[in-house]
Amino acid sequence: MEWAWLIPVFSFASALLIVVFGRSLPSKGAFLSILAIALGFAGFWVVLISWMGADTTTSGCFTSENTHLLTCDYERTWFNAGAVGDVGSVSINWGILIDPLTIAVLGLVTFVALMVQIYSLAYMKGDTRFGWYFAIHSLFAAAMLTLVLADNFLLLYVAWELVGICSYLLIGFWHERSSAREAAKKAFIVTRIGDVGLLVGILLIWREVGTFSMLDAFEAVRTGAMSEGVTTVAALLLFLGAMGKSAQMPFHVWLPDAMEGPTPVSALIHAATMVIAGVYLVARAFPLFEAYDADALMVVSVVGLVTAFVAATIALVATDLKRILAYSTISHLGLMMLSLGAFGVTAAVFHMMAHGFSKALLFLGAGSVLHSTEFQETGEMGGLRKVMPITAILFSIGALSLGGIPILAGFWSKDEILIAVNEHHNVAFIVLTLFTAMLSALYMGRAMFLVFFGPLKEQNEHAHESPLPMTLPMLLLGILALGFGLISFNWPGNYGGFGTFIYFLHPHEFHFEIWLGAVSIVLAVASFIAAYLFYVKRSISLDTVRSNFAGILNVVENKYYFDEVYQWTIDRVVLVLSRLIAFFDRAIVNDIIVNGPADVTRKFGIALRLHVTGHVYSYILAMAIGSVGLALFVWWRVA
Amino acid sequence: MSPLSDNLDLLTPEFAMAGLAFLVFALDLFLPEGRKNLLAFVSMAGLAVLIVLSLVMLWDEDKSLYDGLLAVDSFSLFFKVFFMGLGIAIILTSMDFVENRLKHQGEFYGLLLFSILGMNVMAQSRELLTAYIALELLSFSLYVMVSYTKNSDKTNESALKYILVGAVSSAILLYGVSMVYSTLGVTKFDEIAEGLAIVSDVSPALWVGVGLILVGMMFKVSAVPFHMWAPDVYEGAPYPVTAYLAIGSKAAAFALILRLASEGFVPATERWEQWQVVFAVLAAATMLLGNLVALGQKNLKRLLAYSSVGHVGFILAGVTALSANSDLASNGVMFYLVGYSVTNLVVFAALISFFNMTGREMMSDLGGLADHQPFLAACLGMGLFSLAGLPIFVGFTMKFYLFTAVADQGYLWLAGLAIFSSLIGLYYYLNVIRYIYIEPALTGENGEDLLEEYPALTKRPSFTLITVLGTGSAAMIWLGVYPKPLIDAIESASRAIVF
Repeated sequence: MEWAWLIPVFSFASALLIVVFGRSLPSKGAFLSILAIALGFAGFWVVLISWMGADTTTSGCFTSENTHLLTCDYERTWFNAGAVGDVGSVSINWGILIDPLTIAVLGLVTFVALMVQIYSLAYMKGDTRFGWYFAIHSLFAAAMLTLVLADNFLLLYVAWELVGICSYLLIGFWHERSSAREAAKKAFIVTRIGDVGLLVGILLIWREVGTFSMLDAFEAVRTGAMSEGVTTVAALLLFLGAMGKSAQMPFHVWLPDAMEGPTPVSALIHAATMVIAGVYLVARAFPLFEAYDADALMVVSVVGLVTAFVAATIALVATDLKRILAYSTISHLGLMMLSLGAFGVTAAVFHMMAHGFSKALLFLGAGSVLHSTEFQETGEMGGLRKVMPITAILFSIGALSLGGIPILAGFWSKDEILIAVNEHHNVAFIVLTLFTAMLSALYMGRAMFLVFFGPLKEQNEHAHESPLPMTLPMLLLGILALGFGLISFNWPGNYGGFGTFIYFLHPHEFHFEIWLGAVSIVLAVASFIAAYLFYVKRSISLDTVRSNFAGILNVVENKYYFDEVYQWTIDRVVLVLSRLIAFFDRAIVNDIIVNGPADVTRKFGIALRLHVTGHVYSYILAMAIGSVGLALFVWWRVA
Repeated sequence: MSPLSDNLDLLTPEFAMAGLAFLVFALDLFLPEGRKNLLAFVSMAGLAVLIVLSLVMLWDEDKSLYDGLLAVDSFSLFFKVFFMGLGIAIILTSMDFVENRLKHQGEFYGLLLFSILGMNVMAQSRELLTAYIALELLSFSLYVMVSYTKNSDKTNESALKYILVGAVSSAILLYGVSMVYSTLGVTKFDEIAEGLAIVSDVSPALWVGVGLILVGMMFKVSAVPFHMWAPDVYEGAPYPVTAYLAIGSKAAAFALILRLASEGFVPATERWEQWQVVFAVLAAATMLLGNLVALGQKNLKRLLAYSSVGHVGFILAGVTALSANSDLASNGVMFYLVGYSVTNLVVFAALISFFNMTGREMMSDLGGLADHQPFLAACLGMGLFSLAGLPIFVGFTMKFYLFTAVADQGYLWLAGLAIFSSLIGLYYYLNVIRYIYIEPALTGENGEDLLEEYPALTKRPSFTLITVLGTGSAAMIWLGVYPKPLIDAIESASRAIVF
């Protein structure tokens, strides 16, 4: 386990190698990238197995006071600022923390990234920047893996920003398109706003605790060394960062636009890397959130619930296939946050994984459709199951899983969330959550039926099934989307179910509330049937529904005017202000304060150049004067 | 007191080094033209063996030789290994150049080995005359190496200047030594310290003597106002020798200064506190003038000469901060020497590679380099960033460490001035990078394309230079990101002279 730091290093190395030598390597180095992440995936198994074999006598391992689970921490000094041991000196470490949360997310990231990279081999074939794509992909995976393994906030922050820059590069991968450039900028800037909160939160913790180590911070909270007010504020600041990365209201606007990148990138961002970083952060820093009266968790719950609900309604009316999936991601991220807010850490992580596999599958399926038909609008599709049956079946599995149809992965994880919410929050929460779950089934059904069912359009008759490197990853993800839920049970033997694996202070033995389960099953099945009636049979007229809700629909279809409000603010407030500042900057700061001394310095330097005359006698004269001067100076100091 | 020849075996690496140099000279007589490259490999292999030998033999050794003239301790071991490693790197860097542009190759490598021997003894000596002899061994080898392209007027002029100015400085140094001896009656560093501590009356001869010794040292490191030879000599010397002057001879002189100051001056606390300001003023003048004058330079060698003067100013600031109760400053100086050498090696290797292809050495010649030599351009760019002191490279870490040490000793104004000078330095380093990456390719005097004129520009740099560039760049980043192993080694080295 001490060697787990190698997992991201593989991918870092491959990114570096591809950038430097990519042009002269076969397949432009893509194989390196896949090899690196495959090694990472193998590393995940090694870590998992050695963690299961470890106990408190293993070096670096102990039972955490917070999770009551075996946790292993390995850290080394990176550098010391100031003399070691001095007051005020700072020791900066880098290290890895391995506990079940790390291991679970490690598995998710390496597996999905591996699948996506294999898929990209075929999807990105022939692209002019094929090698660059894989280099950034590797870097992206490496950054995310570092983030997951980090045992201190500083390293986490470094990885966090690296994830941000990689997403920027990948979303703007086709930077010839202005929409891609805009989307990349939007993603970067919006998440940066949250990052400021994260940084301030980290510094606040550092100020209180004196180190960046997460374990020290948790310890300080547990023993009460960190006061209630500070803890709550720090938790909320961290959550601000998580809101940006995990696209929570009102920072969600970047995620739908992020589909401007290549579709496999969307799969990666939505399932395994970028957006789950926020959820991971809250889960990782959970001791800060639940400390004292857990006020911070209430905020997390409300933000999560609102996000989940609002995004679900937008997903219901969006017409672009990738956009539907994007809003669905936002909605499910909201559910994860809600679950965290309801002390359901296990449920949130479980849902993160179930959703990750399903959403990666859906995006790869969508990519397969786009690859073959070149359309993104659902209106242009329909009946595709006839020409691309494998994609159709696998996409449907993903959709049913996210919709919460029993025995598929999404059903079990959603159920866990419902139980957590039911136990810790009031009736309003559970009703809205159930309603959101129902919407989730409805829009998933809508997407599935609009694209793959109904009559095949003439323009799509030439469409064909995608090649094996694309369908194989989808197949593997499909199997997980089908069967992943099974790991939540307590199997015979030592394994106590996923509930006891993450097991965060409040053990969630797997259990099943009959009434909740029944209601959610009924709602999910009913929603899919309704979707079938709406979009395939067309036995219920959409137009009547639309005209009845015209007012609301208008608001929802315009995505609650979030983008418009932001645009107005930027145009009227930010830009006007920045023009004023820009003038001040140009005229006074730049011309007088900066360029002024710079010019003087430069001219001074050029004039001083003349003192080297090129004549030896003048050099020796200078030396003589210098010697006498020095001797006199020494004498003067002493006498 | 031990007999003089008691532990002579501790000098085995030095004897072996002299033997190696003679072996190279002898082999040179028998090798036919065209096979002289073998000499480079013999020298490198010899140096590699000597590094291993020194490490195995002298690890954790703390002895004195010849009644205290030479010290075999972790400080001298650190610098020995450092110098010999540097020697290998310099040989790798100069092989192409020597083969294609110089005559008498065997002597080149032989002289190089002798100069490294001189440097090794400089790091070990703890007595003024021994130090002087070692210094002269280094200087004489360098005088010859500087004048190696003896058919060029420019070289002859600069070699003559170097010898003349060098001779004057040697005379000054010797005069200083004799005055110190005449007043204190001793020449060993530790006895000088004792003498300084107990002398109560101010004898002008003593202070003048110490001052003159300082002048001699300051000439070697080209501190202001004894720096004027540097740009001329750097410009006229063959490129690899310029690199060697900028890296090796400076590091050796600072190794000597470090030991002289730590063992000879610092223990006499009261005197040292009076003198610190002398070093501080020298440091301030050196860093300011070096960086300011570099702004106006157009020739790359001259630019690097002034840049090295600027860096010497920074290192002198570190020497100022030496103190009897903290090893922070001496650690900082050593770290800076290593980081500066590695960085400068990368920069020079890239420029030598470019010079091998084109024979040009002006800044504007670098225009468009990134287009036809991306690897070279990247290494050069990283090296310049490191010299400018930008993070993730060692240039940042070493400056940070050293300036922290300076500020820690209460010389806040000096640390501030150093940061300000670094800022000036940033301008001219970035200016070179601007040529490499932004400015279009230069066209020749008659408008012809540089690529047509120099077809070698489209070919890869030679394997030896790529080795230096690759490992050097990796080391630059490694030391910039994770310097702890090196700092651990440095801490144990400086414990030998500080406490």
